[in-house]
Amino acid sequence: MFRHTPLRYGALVLLASAALFQAFTADYFGLDILTEIVILAMLVIALDMVAGFGGMVSLCHGALLGVGAYGYALLSTKVGLTPVAAMGGAVVITGAIAWVIGAICARSHGIYFIMATLAFGQMGYSYVFEAPLFGGDDGLGGIARLDLSLIGLDLNDGRSFALFSLGVLAAIYGVAVLILRSGLGRSLSGVRHNEQRMRALGLTVWRVKADVFGLSGLISGLAGVMAAQHVMFVSPGLLSWTVSGEALVVVILGGLGTLVGPLLGAAVFVLLKHEVGALTSYWHLVVGILLIAVVMSRANGIFGWIEARFGARIERRAADAVRDIDPREVKTDA
Amino acid sequence: MSLDLGFWTLQALNALQLSMLLFLLSIGLTVIFGLMHFVNLAHGALYALGAYFAASAAAVGGYWAGFFLAPVAVAGVGVLLYSGLIQRMRKSGPMAQVLVTFGLIFALLDITRIVWGDLALGLEVPDLLAGRVALLGVEYPAYRLFIIALGLAIFGALAFVLSRTQIGAMIRAGVDNDAMAACLGINVERLFFIVFCVGCALAGLAGAVAAPLLSVTPDMGLQILIPTLIVIVIGGLGSLKGAIAGSLIFGFVQTFGAVLAPQLASVLIYALLAAVLVIRPVGLFPAKG
Amino acid sequence: MKRAFLAALGLATGFAMPATAQDIKVGLLLPFSGVYAALGNDIEAGFTTALEQFGSETPATFEIVREDTEVKPPVALAKAKKLILQDKVDVISGIVSSGVLGAVRDMVHGAGVPLIVANAGNDEATGEACSPYITRMSFSNGQVNRPMGKWMHDQGIRKVYTLAPDYAAGRQMIDGFVQTFTAAGGEIVGQEFTPFQKTQDFGPYMAQAKSSGAEAVFVFYAGGEAISFVKQYDSFGLKADLPLYGSGFLTSSLYVNAEGPAAEGVITALHYVPTLDNPANAQFVEAFKAKTGRVPSEFAVHGYDAGRALIEAVKAGATDRESLANALRQVSFDGPRGALSIDPATNNIVQPIYVYETIAGTDGLTQKVLAQLPAEADPVNGCEMAAPVSN
Repeated sequence: MFRHTPLRYGALVLLASAALFQAFTADYFGLDILTEIVILAMLVIALDMVAGFGGMVSLCHGALLGVGAYGYALLSTKVGLTPVAAMGGAVVITGAIAWVIGAICARSHGIYFIMATLAFGQMGYSYVFEAPLFGGDDGLGGIARLDLSLIGLDLNDGRSFALFSLGVLAAIYGVAVLILRSGLGRSLSGVRHNEQRMRALGLTVWRVKADVFGLSGLISGLAGVMAAQHVMFVSPGLLSWTVSGEALVVVILGGLGTLVGPLLGAAVFVLLKHEVGALTSYWHLVVGILLIAVVMSRANGIFGWIEARFGARIERRAADAVRDIDPREVKTDA
Repeated sequence: MSLDLGFWTLQALNALQLSMLLFLLSIGLTVIFGLMHFVNLAHGALYALGAYFAASAAAVGGYWAGFFLAPVAVAGVGVLLYSGLIQRMRKSGPMAQVLVTFGLIFALLDITRIVWGDLALGLEVPDLLAGRVALLGVEYPAYRLFIIALGLAIFGALAFVLSRTQIGAMIRAGVDNDAMAACLGINVERLFFIVFCVGCALAGLAGAVAAPLLSVTPDMGLQILIPTLIVIVIGGLGSLKGAIAGSLIFGFVQTFGAVLAPQLASVLIYALLAAVLVIRPVGLFPAKG
Repeated sequence: MKRAFLAALGLATGFAMPATAQDIKVGLLLPFSGVYAALGNDIEAGFTTALEQFGSETPATFEIVREDTEVKPPVALAKAKKLILQDKVDVISGIVSSGVLGAVRDMVHGAGVPLIVANAGNDEATGEACSPYITRMSFSNGQVNRPMGKWMHDQGIRKVYTLAPDYAAGRQMIDGFVQTFTAAGGEIVGQEFTPFQKTQDFGPYMAQAKSSGAEAVFVFYAGGEAISFVKQYDSFGLKADLPLYGSGFLTSSLYVNAEGPAAEGVITALHYVPTLDNPANAQFVEAFKAKTGRVPSEFAVHGYDAGRALIEAVKAGATDRESLANALRQVSFDGPRGALSIDPATNNIVQPIYVYETIAGTDGLTQKVLAQLPAEADPVNGCEMAAPVSN
């Protein structure tokens, strides 16, 4: 079950303001980084849904993003669909594939589930790498962005595209919250806590898992479409397990099961990579040590730590503020 | 397609050699997981470290210096990792373990680059094992036979230790139910420490042994990680039988797949993994059925 | 003597003209982290060596901005955008991987920024995807292998088995060889493409090669795979009955010493080896060794000649992106590889190819040049470009 605490609202507001500030003041490279963060954030929301809320740790979400990206690339360039149709098609295809994967892996748990998703992800990667249809490791270029000239937005401009991506991210966040608060979301929560019990209650557990995985796939597919439009080029590296691994790292770094945490994690991770990368070519070492430190601190990622430290305090203050208002003291104009 | 018996014998030997190499890696990883429930994704990085240590030691003292020093050096690294990191992370869930070991992969990748540079290193096969042996109608490289023999020897030694010695019994008890084993007075913490270090030593040995055959590059750890994980999941976590079964299956499917259906070869092993996970989610011979 | 004269002439004309301090900003787009860092570092070292050696031939000063591509197309594209739009570089050089080249091609073409390719060899970059702004100073996959087909046939070899990793470059390299070998009358008795960067054990494929009835084996592998392949080939004792030939990346001086004695006797063809016997190469090898402590590889010479090409373009009067792009298409000079020039029909380099054998030297393995095959321009291959404006 997903709740919006005052702290989470606050964090969302802060992140949104920072993003908008960056979108309107940054230069080309800054906008590029912002878009990169936003697209990664989309993917990690999808991943947090299944991993944080569903307890299904997946190493194939990078591949799902890749499927979305390649789907859009092929549908728009080779099949010749309009960008909107290609986007829709790619998202649906990815969702369907994710549903199938979720259904097949539903019986596995823990490390086996992780390995099963890894297997599917790598199958996708190998297939895309070798099939000549997908352009092999040289990738596919010439991908066009969505044409929003009807509402006066030229998406080929970096700033407009960044704002558009932010809009899509906000929509995805809203959809994720809706899913998690719905009946399906509650079933998922139940499954995560005690699968046996849910089955005893008559729930078709594998269906719940598959449905959520499929929905997560839809979101990942959309992230993939955005990634393809951003770079205007797709290559098999998008489906590599290291992309899935990095997404998982970001989710855990940000805070599993908080939905807001991964957004923060995405920003921190990308910024860190770029800043440290500018200083040294050994940025893997720095990032690695940081990850270890974050985990050793036993907190649930950065946001989990913030919630643990300050969350209770803020909630108490909010409750106190409400409680301290004595109805008799409220002045009414008679 | 050649029906020459010699050709198939050659391929079978190739498959066996690949299996033994993977066995050396997977046995450490599977027992660590079976006993400590700790997912050590950095196992591949330890294998790479073993190869690098061996290359350095061999530059000074020849191949055998590397062969004996690498496992010791990597076990030493294991001691550091255990006391500094693993011990604290043992009780955490798989998520935290994934993150910590991912961080380790990153860190170790750059550490090897810093210490040994970016260029690939080479390690020569020792003179004793250079050359070929006439066997079953084919001429097969002696070094590869050495790998097969080594793998089988270690399998035999571990089987003996696990089934006939007290420490083996304690390990099996710990894998079965570590809380209960602790209640029975077994020093489970010390057991974990020993198992972890031995696992690391085996990974280092695998690296030292593979180095003359393959190349010593910074990404060799990442490349071997997925095959190792596939082996232990197919074979079943925590058991010696699982490790050897998984290794043999992977080795033969990979080798004969490459020969018979090269286009499908890369997809084949993943399809096999998915199939096993669907039919028998815990693998073929898990320690805990 | 000639250099001193030219330098003096340059100085003299420099005094004669009003002091227009040209500052050419160069973006170096290379992998500086991860497993390809060794190539990126070599190319950069070659590039800066060229600027140091030849920079005095022009009054212009050069400022270098380095960016790490990590060999990932999206990352490289973002860095390219930064170089072009934010740093406002006049020219970009580098690009190790063909995937990265494919990703940045449209951006570079659309923005009108000259790009000097210092490695990536995919044939389309100077074929169907060619651009008047992209000049390649390194090689094309077909170019380094086509001469070998005819040469091997001339040596009396009639039946060949080929092996290469299964990706675009692997296929292009083998296609180049197969084209000329079969045209000369040879027969390809078998071909295999191994899973790229996933094959560690080449044993199964070597066994197949052996049973195919071939007289020789021609392969393309690079980096770690090359080291593994060469060592394993030797361990099976195949070299005596089934000699190993290949594209020079198999025994590149960057990592041939990791292959050890296994590489001895392997004959390959490449556009550069450090033992080439000409004054330009002697000068280059000496300067490079002094700078880095190692012998230059073909990757280093790419960077060196890219730097030299830039200087030649600036000497011809180019000052901004348009003029640089135009001038780069017409450069020609004598470099460590021999006589080099750019073919304006494809913007690819025209260079001789050397067949060499790897032999044991006094200080590790070295290369003995067996033949110098004439330079040939690449076939146009779908490239449509207007001719450059003459300098």
